[in-house]
Amino acid sequence: MAAVGIMLCCLNGNGTDALTYMLEGADSAATLSLSLAGSYILWMGIMNIAKRAGLIETLSRLMRRPLRLLMPNVGEAAAPITLNLAANFFGLGNAATPFGLEAMRQLNKQAGGVDFCTNEMCMFLALNSSAIEMLPTTVLAIRTACGSADPYSIVLPTLVSSVLAAIAAIAACKLFERGAGRR
Amino acid sequence: MTIIIPIIIAALIVYAAIKKVNPYDAFAEGAAEAVPTILHVLPYLGAMLMAINLFRRSGAMDALTTTIAPAMNFIGIPPALAPLAILRPFSGSAALAMLQDVLINHGADSFIGCAASVMVGSTETIFYTVSLYCGCIGVSKTRYAIPVALISGIVGAVSGVLLVRLLCF
Repeated sequence: MAAVGIMLCCLNGNGTDALTYMLEGADSAATLSLSLAGSYILWMGIMNIAKRAGLIETLSRLMRRPLRLLMPNVGEAAAPITLNLAANFFGLGNAATPFGLEAMRQLNKQAGGVDFCTNEMCMFLALNSSAIEMLPTTVLAIRTACGSADPYSIVLPTLVSSVLAAIAAIAACKLFERGAGRR
Repeated sequence: MTIIIPIIIAALIVYAAIKKVNPYDAFAEGAAEAVPTILHVLPYLGAMLMAINLFRRSGAMDALTTTIAPAMNFIGIPPALAPLAILRPFSGSAALAMLQDVLINHGADSFIGCAASVMVGSTETIFYTVSLYCGCIGVSKTRYAIPVALISGIVGAVSGVLLVRLLCF
């Protein structure tokens, strides 16, 4: 992707543009990391309180059975996966990321440290990308700012279509799993 | 609605204290892991945002949009929304900026405006999430994660546009 971009810039006769664009991207990575640092500290700290109080283990035990239907080897990752999906559901996008990273770490540990995405990781990423949200807070804020008379009119179709997307994701995952198994 | 999460957090702190866990120490212990996590993620984030920015600003994205727009129209995504649909999996902030643009130009309560809102709400920045999550644990072979996420994104976008047409107009 980067190579295509650089070549296009050179073709347009502006080699320096490519450098500018790359630096812009790197800059936004740096600022994004800093702005994410706050929410990482907040949510990783709170997650650790829950862990020390034994609640993460309880949540993990509760959710392991339902999640096992989708991911047989979910193990200890059940708790962070639940927290990640819950954070998304309540529109706390920034909180979802640290939970999601923790879930990936646990899934990797469960698989014994691999360099490829296990079936469980693919399923988790698929669920994550269907973005089931009760209140799409950012979209609602933009609609209000743009003078919508009824910003909430999109909530129901958004919810239904993301549930459909999740169903499609699960089905596709199961199909790919089977295909990969046969190979 | 907005007070539920703070209440849960307060309850958690009280519960931890009852369980004889020092919430302050536990918080600090967890928060200490935030910095290494961010340092670990930063290089992947940098590489990815650089590539995405290049792709977008060099005009490659526009070329892709023009090429794919007829196919998108075929599966039910209006041409006015094709750029948004293509941008969405790559960059959340760019998609939000473009959503704002669409809402201003077409009207927030128009069919295009509502469809755009639903599309953004029911899809996710797939490439960003997958590379961030996989990069963090050092997984390079994503196998079928991207195709599956794309299928889910397409279903979300197409059904979103369809549902807006059925439910709102």
